[in-house]
This record gives sequence, C-alpha cells and structure tokens, in this order.
Amino acid sequence: MEESKELTGWLERVLEEFHGVKVQRKAARRMRIDIDADALPALLELLQGRAGYVHLSAISCVDWIDDGQFELVYHVLSYETGTLVSAHIRIARDPGVYLSVYDLYPPAAFFERDIHEMFGVYFEGSPDMEKFILTEWDGPPPMRKEFDTRAYVHATFDWQQYDPEWLREIRARGGGIVE
Amino acid sequence: MADKDKDKAIDIPVTAGQPAGGSPYAGVFDRLFDFCRARSLFLLHYCTGCGAIELPPAMTSRYDMERLGIQPMATPRQADILLVTGYVATKTLKRILLTYEQMPAPRYVIGICSCTVNGGMYWQSYATVKKLNEYLPVDMYIAGCMPRPEAVIAGLQQLMDKIEAGRANGWQDYYRRYDAYLGKQQALFGPRWQTPTDIVAEARRFELFGPGTLGAHTSLLDQYQQPLELPSEPVFGRQKDESGR
Amino acid sequence: MRPENYQAVSHPPSHEYELNIGPNHPGIEGNYALRLTLEGDIVVAARADAGYLHRGFEKLMEGRLWMQNIALVPRICVPDPAHMEICYALGVEMLGGLEVPARAQWIRVMQLELSRITAHLFYFGGVAATMGMYSNMFWGVADRDLVLDLFEEFTGGRVYSMFNVPGGVRRDLPDGFLGKLKALLDYLESRLEDYDNLFFSNYVVVHRSRGTGPMNRQQALEWGVTGPNLRATGLAFDVRRDDPYLVYDQIEFDIPTEEAGDALARILVRRRELQESIRILRQVAEQLPYIKGPVRCPLPNPLAWNVPAGDSYARVESSKGELAYYTVSNGGDKPWRVHIRGPSQMHAVQVLENLSVGSRIEDIAQIMFTLDACPPEVDR
Repeated sequence: MEESKELTGWLERVLEEFHGVKVQRKAARRMRIDIDADALPALLELLQGRAGYVHLSAISCVDWIDDGQFELVYHVLSYETGTLVSAHIRIARDPGVYLSVYDLYPPAAFFERDIHEMFGVYFEGSPDMEKFILTEWDGPPPMRKEFDTRAYVHATFDWQQYDPEWLREIRARGGGIVE
Repeated sequence: MADKDKDKAIDIPVTAGQPAGGSPYAGVFDRLFDFCRARSLFLLHYCTGCGAIELPPAMTSRYDMERLGIQPMATPRQADILLVTGYVATKTLKRILLTYEQMPAPRYVIGICSCTVNGGMYWQSYATVKKLNEYLPVDMYIAGCMPRPEAVIAGLQQLMDKIEAGRANGWQDYYRRYDAYLGKQQALFGPRWQTPTDIVAEARRFELFGPGTLGAHTSLLDQYQQPLELPSEPVFGRQKDESGR
Repeated sequence: MRPENYQAVSHPPSHEYELNIGPNHPGIEGNYALRLTLEGDIVVAARADAGYLHRGFEKLMEGRLWMQNIALVPRICVPDPAHMEICYALGVEMLGGLEVPARAQWIRVMQLELSRITAHLFYFGGVAATMGMYSNMFWGVADRDLVLDLFEEFTGGRVYSMFNVPGGVRRDLPDGFLGKLKALLDYLESRLEDYDNLFFSNYVVVHRSRGTGPMNRQQALEWGVTGPNLRATGLAFDVRRDDPYLVYDQIEFDIPTEEAGDALARILVRRRELQESIRILRQVAEQLPYIKGPVRCPLPNPLAWNVPAGDSYARVESSKGELAYYTVSNGGDKPWRVHIRGPSQMHAVQVLENLSVGSRIEDIAQIMFTLDACPPEVDR
C-alpha cells in the first residue's frame, strides 16, 4: 500500500529527531527502534497518538546478565499499516526499576505484573504489582539467569524408584534390546 | 503381561489391605461391597493439567466410559476417584490434597500422564511436582503423553479389577502412614501446612490407626493450629447473654 | 476453609460478600480461579487467580536445544497446539534466515486450519455446557475426534503432533490423505445444519447469550482484545490478512464480523470462522497435489546448530486471538529468551475481570467460556 509506505517513511523521519535513536527495518512489517530509557514514554505517546499504533502486543524482558542490564522491549502494532514496531530500552539490572506505561496502554498492566514477579523489575505507576502466577513461591525471581532451575529441582524433589526385576535382568545381561 | 507382573513391576509402597473389624463375616460383605463399588465409580473431573483434553473423548459417545459405570462428578464429596490428569504444579498440589481429603473413603487416585510418574516433560521445572505418590497414595498410573482415551479406559478397567480383588487400598495407607505423607507435604509447603480434615481422628474411627500415623510432623499440626475464637462484639445485632457467648 | 477463616466476621450492612470460584469448578475453563465480590447476585469486583498450571516454560526453553523445544511448545495451549508449534518455528526461521519450501507452507496452513476447527468444535461444546445443554459437547467432541483421526494419520499424534520443525514439516503427507480430508470437509459442512438447529438457532441459547458480557469497539481496543473477540465487536482485524504469514496471501477467505460484541456475537463469529476454515482447507486440498518439492529445508545437525544472534517477533492468528513469540538468540545452540504472548493473557485476566463487573453470577461461566480464555496460555 503506497499510503502505508508514506506513513512509515514519515514516522522514520520524525524518529530521527529523537536523540540517541537507532531505527532499523528488519522485515517487511517489522521495525526495531533502540532508544534511551528516558525517551521511551514520549516515543510511545507519539506512536500511539500520531501514528495510530494503538495495540500493545507485548512487553518482553530479556536478562543480559553479562552486561548487568535488563532489556525491555515494547512491541506496538498499528492496525492500519500492519507494521509492528519493537522499541528496545536497557535498564540497569541492580535496581531494576522503570516507569509503567499503563496510562497509555492498559494491557501493559498484565505484562508489567508478569515481568515483576518473574524478573523482579519494579514498574512505578503500575496499578497492580502483586504476585499473580507465583503466589506461593518464595524463592528468587525465577526467570533471572542466576536461578538454576535444575539445581533447585534436584534439591527439592525426589525421583521415583523404579527397579523391576525385568530391568535388573537386562542390566545383568549387559543391557540390550529385549525380543 | 499378566496382572500380577504389572503389579510387581511398579513398586508403589502400599501395604496390603486388611479388612477392618474382626468379625468372621467381614470378608464376605467386603467382597460384595467391592464388587458393587467397582461397577459404580464417580470420577472427580478436576482438570489439573494437559491430560484433561483427552477426558471428554473418553467420556463421550465414541469411547464411552459410562458403559463401565464411570461418571463424572463435580464435587469431591460424592466422588470415588480423583483423577490427576497430567502434571501437578505445586500450587495445584495444595488444592489436590484438600480435595483428596474431602473425598469420602474408600477413595482412589489415578495418576494420568507420565508427568505424575516421574516428572515427565517438565522434570527440570521448579514449579511442578515430580513424584506424586509421595504426597498422596496413588492406586494406578496410566503412562502416556498424553494417553489415548482407550488407554485411559484400559487403566480404569484395571483399577476396577483391582478394586474388586480388594487390592486398591491406597486410602488405607494414607491413614496408616499419615506422618510420612505429611512430612513430604510440609517439606514442600512449609511447617505451617495443614488441612481442615482431621486425618488422625478419621484414622481412629476407621480403625486404621497405625504406628506411622502420628509422628514428628503431625505434632507440628497441634503446634500451628489456631483455636476458634468467638467474636467480642455482636454480629448482625445479636445480643450477648450473661455467659458471654 | 482454614481454621483461621472459621471466625465470624461482622459484615457492614452493604450485603457484599466474597466468593471464590476456585480451580475445581465446572464453570471455569481449565484450572483457574476467580475471586468475586458479590452483592446479592451481581458481581461488584472480580479478581483472577492464575498459576495453577505454571510450569515455567520460558525457563525450560532456555535450557534446551532449538530443536528440543519443539517437543515442549505445543503443550502451552492445550486445545490448539498446532499454532504454538508453527509460531515457534516461524520465529526461529526469522532468526536463522531459513527458507521454508512451498509445499511445507501449504501443509502448515492445512494444520493450522484443522487445528482451528478442532478448537472451535470444542469451544461450542464448552459454551453450551455453561448454558446447561450437554448434547453439544457430545457432538462437538465426536466431530473433533474425526479431525483428530486425520491428525493422527499424518502426524502420528492426536493432540500434540510435534510435526513442525524450524525449516518445514517433518514428513510428507501419506497417500490418499487428501481424499480423506475432502470427505471430512463434506461431512463437517453437512453437520453445520444440525448444529444450527441444535445450538446456533436455539431460542434459549440466543436469548441467554444476547447481551451477556457486552464489549464495544473502544473497550476492545483499549483492553488489548484480539482475534474472534475483537471481530465480534465489528472490527475486521485478522493477522492472516494484516500481517500475512505462510501462504495466506494466496488463499481467498473472508473475515467474519458481528456488531453486538456480546456473548452471542462471539459465538456466531466462531461459527462463521469454522465455515471459512473449511473453505480455506478446500483450497489447500485443491492446490497441494500441484505443489511439489521437499518438505523441509536442509538443516545442520540439531545437536550443534547455532542460530545467529538477533531477535524476532513472529505473530500468528490462533483460534483464540493473536499469538506471538519473541525469540532472542545470542548465537548459541539454545534460545537466550523466548517470550510467549498468548491471547488469553489479555482475555482471561483483564477482559474477564472487566466484563464480570455488573454481570450476574450465573453469567460468569458463560463470559469466560465465550471469551475462549485458555488458562495454560496465561500461566505458561
């Protein structure tokens, strides 16, 4: 659609005026924007109000433990053009705190709550930061890279003892396929 | 494989059933009751996990388990079989234990899908339980991921044979070794874990009180139980009389 | 039911009370709980309680190879597993720059539409059961079983097929399969009239579901509603048309919409989607014999396959709404992060809570079932 190409071209020109923005066209309907954490709410407001990106598809959190940062990705979609814009920001891992975008996009409440209990990132201004899925979990936030789920499982749970006679016979014979 | 071989192969620590009471005619009535029980089982359909999607085909006309006398039932108070369909998240395990203890004895547990046996697909998961029969006694496991409706019905038929032969006595094992089960539950949920059902009193009533019923873990129950307190101010306008009640 | 809850509490004279529609309940789809605050029969506030089906999928997927995750992925959405597999495969293909052969794309479309049909047939049974009619469940599950027989024939598994790999599908269709598919499509179309008489034109069903849980367009867009629930409010947005994937841009199909946005509209949209899926499948069955070629592109050894670093966002239209996978790779042989955005994350939580407020308690089950809220997608 010619209209859509014009629209996204206009968008790209406007985005260049933001400081520290890197825009990348990844595929036909995918755009990646890397931006400073402070500038994100303004970007989202611009996308929603002026460019018609009314649908927040997801907010993802990626744990870059070697860099000491969390990467938050906001995926917003425009129904008219069908383009998805992913806005990537980085926040420091240690006081993992950021602003909530609930007043712009109400679906953000679910994702922020989910990221809070899985990663430990606190979103200021989010309506509900209570635990949702892990209400009876009192360990560290499980999606962080330092949490080793296998070690936890071996420490907490027992395994079934299964030693029937037919299996012992097979082992005594040195293993192999039974006819 | 013969039935006996299957029982030998799966080594579930269930003690052999003994008829309650000492009357010489107890055995006869027990056989009759077991015969009738096996033919009229109510299934508590609590969809605890993935395997629940193959239950409607097993219940409806194509594979029809109602011809075996098995019917779904919504409330645990009238159900015989607790069907643990699939993996058990730790949050769900608490509700399964509460549900299990609400069911009237004799009650049977079937663990469907491989996740109840030994963790299955989610063996690395921090949120699922690996070995179901250390938290509550399991009478039958049906392996698969997920088992076909024919496999579910074959497992139910095997359970019916087991009930009729008087060997499905997992529920008695729960009373006889309650301390061991409670210990495992408390290890997972914390020392304050308790359910509203008084298992020890029920064990005494059913004459299934054994040396394994009380122990270190059941003593924690008394410690953390809170007595009922009456309200200090009137409720709904009720006036307190002289005795203060 | 804990001893501490047995204490009598003095209630304010507002007649409000809390009711926990807990996980073991036939009016709740799956293993999920709702905490309602009621005043008589009217719901004043609702709060969803999830986590009963949590397995930590995203953590598990970080510990397995790219190919091993195919076994995990269909188990996230139980009634509709093909969409999950294909969305994951699309995400990995976008990362790895894999080119899926044409024949594999058409077979994937066939899988997706068959899976959509099974999900909708199950849906009709569930919705009817909330209104007290159980025959529809029997019919729906029986017809769904015939479709599952087809699944078993070409993939080997009734429910969890694990048939898709990044780069294509595992094997080609068996001989005579397309004839069976066409026979099944004829059968399903002939059954639609019976379903109309039983369910869709049923006086009780229509009057019971009309006006239940109404949602207008603005609310739907604000709450992030997608899929058939959005189309029931009148907006014809469909990922297959707006953001086409696989070969949907070469297939002719309509996007059915309804205007009312209530439970009846949601049911009728899905009934017409079932017809559209049959139409798509007929086109696929016609085209497949003429599309020859391999069914998967050559892949390196799965045990040592390093996908190039980057991220991708794959979206598909599942039977419940917009399903998306955000996959991040750091150049290794295991995913660095996979984030699953299931449609029920909006529908079962915020939309359900918002629509419950003001409705009667007997309509809660109907609202949850007509929204097609699938708890395993919420909990992952």
